[in-house]
Formats: sequence, C-alpha cells, structure tokens
Amino acid sequence: MSAASKQVTHVEVPRDGVRIRCQGVSKYYRRTAVLDAVDLEVRDGTMLGLIGPGAAGKSLLVKIICGLVAPDEGHVFIDDIDVTRLRERELQALRMRLGMVFQNYALFDFMNVGENIALPLRMEGRSSETSIRNRVAEVLEQVALPGIQDKMPRELSGGMKKRVSFVRAVVRRPPIVIYDDPTGGLDPVTSAKIFRLLSDMKAQGTTSITISHDLDGIRPLCDQWLLIEHGKTLFSGDTSAIDQCETPYVRQFWRGEPA
Amino acid sequence: MRLTSVLSVPFAMVGRRTLDIATEMGGMTLMAGAILRRLFPPRVDGAELMRNLYNVGVKSFPIILVTGVFVGAIMVIQAGLYVEKYEATGFIGWGAGFATLREVSPIMIALMFNGRVGAKNTAEIGTMKVTEQVDALRTLAIDPVSYLIMPRFIAMVVMMTLLVVVGDATALIGGAFTSQFLLGVDVQLFFRSFVDLIHLEDFLLGVYKAITFGIAVGVVSCHFGITVTGGAVGVGRAVNDSVVASAIWIFVLNYVVTTLII
Repeated sequence: MSAASKQVTHVEVPRDGVRIRCQGVSKYYRRTAVLDAVDLEVRDGTMLGLIGPGAAGKSLLVKIICGLVAPDEGHVFIDDIDVTRLRERELQALRMRLGMVFQNYALFDFMNVGENIALPLRMEGRSSETSIRNRVAEVLEQVALPGIQDKMPRELSGGMKKRVSFVRAVVRRPPIVIYDDPTGGLDPVTSAKIFRLLSDMKAQGTTSITISHDLDGIRPLCDQWLLIEHGKTLFSGDTSAIDQCETPYVRQFWRGEPA
Repeated sequence: MRLTSVLSVPFAMVGRRTLDIATEMGGMTLMAGAILRRLFPPRVDGAELMRNLYNVGVKSFPIILVTGVFVGAIMVIQAGLYVEKYEATGFIGWGAGFATLREVSPIMIALMFNGRVGAKNTAEIGTMKVTEQVDALRTLAIDPVSYLIMPRFIAMVVMMTLLVVVGDATALIGGAFTSQFLLGVDVQLFFRSFVDLIHLEDFLLGVYKAITFGIAVGVVSCHFGITVTGGAVGVGRAVNDSVVASAIWIFVLNYVVTTLII
C-alpha cells in the first residue's frame, strides 16, 4: 500500500476542524470560466448551504469536491488530503468517507430498491447478507418507506426516489455528505420530510454541503453559506453575516425579493 | 467568403474527421488497457457476471438459432447450383460446412450479436452515464470498470464463442435439411461428406474468430457507452457509432485471423 493510499484510508478529523476546503477552484469550458477561483471551508459537524441561481456552477463545484471532475486550477482538500492529486484508486478509498445525493436521484435502474441500497455495503464486503438485509430494512423504515425493497426505481414517485437516493448515500454512515438539490421538484410535505432527514443527519454530527433553491427549508439547517453566480463567489460567511449583508444581489437572493 | 477560406473547408473537414477517428481509436485502446489491467488478477462482481451471462447469452439464443438455420440453408442453396451442375452431390456437406464453419457462421453471428448485444450494451452504459448513475457508482467508492464493464466484457467474449458453436450446429442442421428437401441429397450423405472432409482446424478457426469478435464488440460497445455526452441524442449517436465501428472491426479481424491462421 502506497503512502497516499495509507493516508486516504486513515480517517482523522484535521486539527483545525476543517473537513472540506476548496482553494481557488476554477473550471473552464471553451475558455469561459464556469467556476472562477472559488474558496470554501466546511468545518466538522457543520452544514454549508451552497446557493445561487441556476447554472451558477453549484453542481459542478460539488462534483469537483467529490473528485468526479478535475478542476483546471486550484485544490480541494478533504480531511487535509488533496483530492486533485489522487489517482482514481486512491480517490475510491477517500470516497468511503463521502456520500452524495444526486439532483436526479441516479438510482441504478436495473436494480430494485433493496439492491440499490445494499450495493455500497456489499461492495465494502464487511457485512454478512443477513446484516445487510437488516440494515436496508432499518434505513427504509427511517425514511418512512418500509417494505419497498422489491420495487424497481421506475415504480417510485419523485419523493420516494429522493429518499431512496438519500438512504443509499448514507447507508454506510459516511462522515461527509453532499446533497445536490435534495428537494428539487418535490411537494412541500415531501420536502419537509427530506429536511427532517437532513436535520437528523446533522444532529448525528455529519459534515455536509447542501445545494438547494428552497431557502426557507435550509435556512434553519445551515451554519455557513456560499452564494455563487456565474461561477464567482458573491458571498461567503455565516447566517448572521448573510442576514446583514448589504450587497444588493445577495440581499435580493437571500430574501427572495423580485428583481 | 474569401477564396482561401472556401478552399480550406474540405481540408478542415478531413482533418476534423481524422482527429475524431484518432480520438476514438485512442479511447478504445485505453478501454482495452483498463479491461486488461482488471483481468490479472480478475476483479469482477460475480452476481453482475451471472446477470450479464444470462442477458447476453441466453436471451440471444433464439435469434442465433434462426440466423444459424438460414445461414446453413443459404450455403446449401448456393453450393447446390454447382453441385448439381457437376453431379458432385457427395460433396455438398463438405462445401456447405467448410464455408459455414470458417467464414459465414462466425461473421453472420457476430453481426447479429453486434446488433443485439453490442448496441444494447452501449445504450445501457450510455444511459447510465447521462443519468449520473456512473458518477453515483464512483461516489459509492465502486470502480465502474470493474463493476459495470468487466462483467459485460467477459460475458460478451464467452457467449459470443458459445453462440458461434451453437450457430455452427444449427447451420449444419439447417443445411442438411435444405439439401434433403431442395436437392434430394440424403441427410446421412450430407453429414458423411462433412465428417470425412472437414477438419478440426476448420471448426477451430471459426472459434478463434468468435473470440476476437467478442473482444472487439465488448471493447467497442463499452468504450462508446462510457464516453457518451449530450443526453438522449448523445446516446443515440453513440449506439450508431458503436455498431458501425464494431462491424468494421469484425471484418478487419476476420481478415487478420484468416491470414494469420491459413
């Protein structure tokens, strides 16, 4: 095992408490910056709200953080490990401490719900089939979807898919979770259920980044905020700072005022 | 538009196409390398492999049986013209069997396999790519090549080979009955000339070809699937490119294997 591999499999919260750090992250498409020198820090056990208008680069930024897309400039550190310098196999080891809920669910459509949720546990290879089945039943119970293991993803509603996608991401109990628009396209009742799940995860000490357009829903949950537009940082700070921010666009976005 | 820029258009088109082909060739080479790296030691999910062996092989059986029967029948009809002319009915089993085992059966079955299995494989992986299922695998710390590509690739190579053997058998049966009913050549006489004059090498040449065709369809269809961009339109384009590229590889490899072994 290489030194880098040893480092990525050894989980330890950094001394300064910052679990996710982006430094000057930029990404260009055809010479146009879609992310322009973005910085962020997420401390252990806190939730960062990543907000901004559509096509601002939010989903791209979280994909860069997970190592799914390589930035053209800058660095991303997870627990002080530079994600941008890792090879795919080392990234795989690092991702054991990450979970991600995708905007469009990304459920494996050739597997039923039970298999979708069990897959990360099976691939980990540490649990018996019985304990995997029990764990799947337990997490489905927690999201109020008991007994749907045998259903295929195409048989589920949008809200159910979101919740299944959520439990698949957290079934391994990762310490860091990224939620990409977890309530997009959902009705208020289902959105409230999802926000309750996010709140539970935070109460368990999970460090997270949440992308959402539902500011009323995530306002009570997030400790830090990053507002980006056209890939540029417009605001970065805590809730009291964004409450008092006098920048017109930030104020308008934060308060949901019409242009 | 200036004359020089008008004249440069065909060169630009040729250059762009050449770059596209070079990019795809490079991509296929990388895919082949990624597969090879995971073969030693084998890193394959057992359940996925079984699922793919079933989907690729068992579900292809009916279409291969039909293809085989008609390949054999056509070979006998074509050979029958000369067999009757030269009164050499005793050689019909050899004539039809020789061409079927060495050339026609592997090629026809590979093309059918490419259309059914290769196209489906590209479409499935491509759809998974554009719906972020491949990214989801990666975030779950699962290597998409080991989990998605390897079982499909192995299933395609194994099943392509077995299906050619099955296709050979059904082609001979189809040929024997066609010679009985159309040419009046007894089935026993058909098989006697086949057994007496066909060598094991004739059968093995077809098997070697099947293995290389399976590798080609596997690598090409997985490469075009995993590199899809551009949503549903991109998936459609990739399926089309995959089927065409695999068909070209089948003909090229047929020539190469035939030349090397003869």
